[in-house]
Amino acid sequence: MARDTTKHRPVYKTDLRDGGRPRPKSLEAVGLLCASARELLGSESNPGTLLSDGKRSFASENVVNRDHALPNPSWNKDLRLLFDQFMRKCEAGSWKRLPSNNHSPQSFQDFQTRFVDPKLPKEQISQARLFTRSFEDGLGFEYVMFCNDAEKRVVCFFQAGPYLQGAPGFTHGGAIATMIDATTGMCAFRAGGVVMTANLNINYKRPIPLCSVVVMKSQIDKVEGRKVFVSCNVRSVDEETLYSEATSLFIKLDPNKKLA
Amino acid sequence: MLRRGCRVSAGLFRAPRIAPGLRSSTDALVSRFCPEKTDLKDYALPNASWCPDMLSLYQEFLEKTNSRSWIKLPSFKSNRDHIQGLKLPSGLVAATDKGDWRIFTRCIPVAGQGYEYVIFFHPAEKKSVCLFQPGPYLEGAPGFAHGGSLAAMMDETFSKTAYLAGEGLFTLSLNIRFKNLIPVGSLAVLNVQVEKIEDQKLYMSCVAQSRDQQTVFAKSSGVFLQLQLEESSQ
Repeated sequence: MARDTTKHRPVYKTDLRDGGRPRPKSLEAVGLLCASARELLGSESNPGTLLSDGKRSFASENVVNRDHALPNPSWNKDLRLLFDQFMRKCEAGSWKRLPSNNHSPQSFQDFQTRFVDPKLPKEQISQARLFTRSFEDGLGFEYVMFCNDAEKRVVCFFQAGPYLQGAPGFTHGGAIATMIDATTGMCAFRAGGVVMTANLNINYKRPIPLCSVVVMKSQIDKVEGRKVFVSCNVRSVDEETLYSEATSLFIKLDPNKKLA
Repeated sequence: MLRRGCRVSAGLFRAPRIAPGLRSSTDALVSRFCPEKTDLKDYALPNASWCPDMLSLYQEFLEKTNSRSWIKLPSFKSNRDHIQGLKLPSGLVAATDKGDWRIFTRCIPVAGQGYEYVIFFHPAEKKSVCLFQPGPYLEGAPGFAHGGSLAAMMDETFSKTAYLAGEGLFTLSLNIRFKNLIPVGSLAVLNVQVEKIEDQKLYMSCVAQSRDQQTVFAKSSGVFLQLQLEESSQ
């Protein structure tokens, strides 16, 4: 049977949203792997849709598996520049971009069986979404996190959308608290495994204008047994303005103890 | 193209002190905040997603509003709607507000999916109660509300309390001690108390617990900056 040789090379839909910029090599590699996997499994009849990141999407996995920590049309210039700058650092080796889908980093099955009553109703589970990913593009939290495991740091670039308003024209203190919790939590998770927030202490120095981009830098201060101490500061892109400072305490969960 | 940045005066948190006698009284602030007639949609009203606990506790507090000791606060889509005719002090004007900007705690409009809450304020004792039911879009750990969503609910309750009790406008600090997780769809009762007003700052405390008070979800303290809003020229 004659083989259609064009199937060997994945054809990327021209992604006008992305400005047609060349994609990093790693994504092309994923695309190639997917294309060859499809061939092996013989599913030419239902090739699915090729997403901008090279992965194929099928109706059932589309919503759950989308990686939100990638540029989309709502990202402003500052956010894109910071993203590009850190993607270059990733190629150099010490930094890693953290993908982010609609659910919390720890796998649901894992969390359920280890910490919670497994009889939690399934309807509730299927409806749920990670809070920071519950919005349409650009309206809520637009962010990407990069980690440096050797230095135990997590950097988060965050753009607050129009649905995060507090005082008119400014970002809600609670939205800032949510991102600080998410960033310091990720830092603690990378260093100590599954953790739960125990304390969050935030000093707000200057209000953050809505729809602007801020740089949140977090690091592990110390680990004492099951306690993980993390600090974080929030600055403007040019680092001239310090918006907030925070310290937080996370507790490593004990797999032998149920939570609820 | 979104305008970046805003003119924030370097002395933002060193605003001129207003003599206590010139500050608006709580009664004046409350009556301006709670318009008798408005076309704006009030989100702090029961809907089909409210659990039985929330509905019954709401009714209890609603009855207390008859004697005017407690006030049910309206909750509009944007804080701009709450301060009609007023604006932030000059030096704090941010980028032009677009029509679709929303207050964070009303960010998810579908009933029951995000924040379901109502705040009752007690002017005489400068305290508030917030009935809060987190929906499935506020999830953090699977099946439970994100710590950040509770932090935001506490900040929001502090914010409305601080404003009505003493023209508190901006959060200066938040210190939250989390004790237990809140299951998605269940009721958390937040009790907020103004502890003191000193040096242009309002100090408040909050306890978030289950209705029967058997489970404490979190305790927190918040400090807000007093800043007078100015009459808007429009």
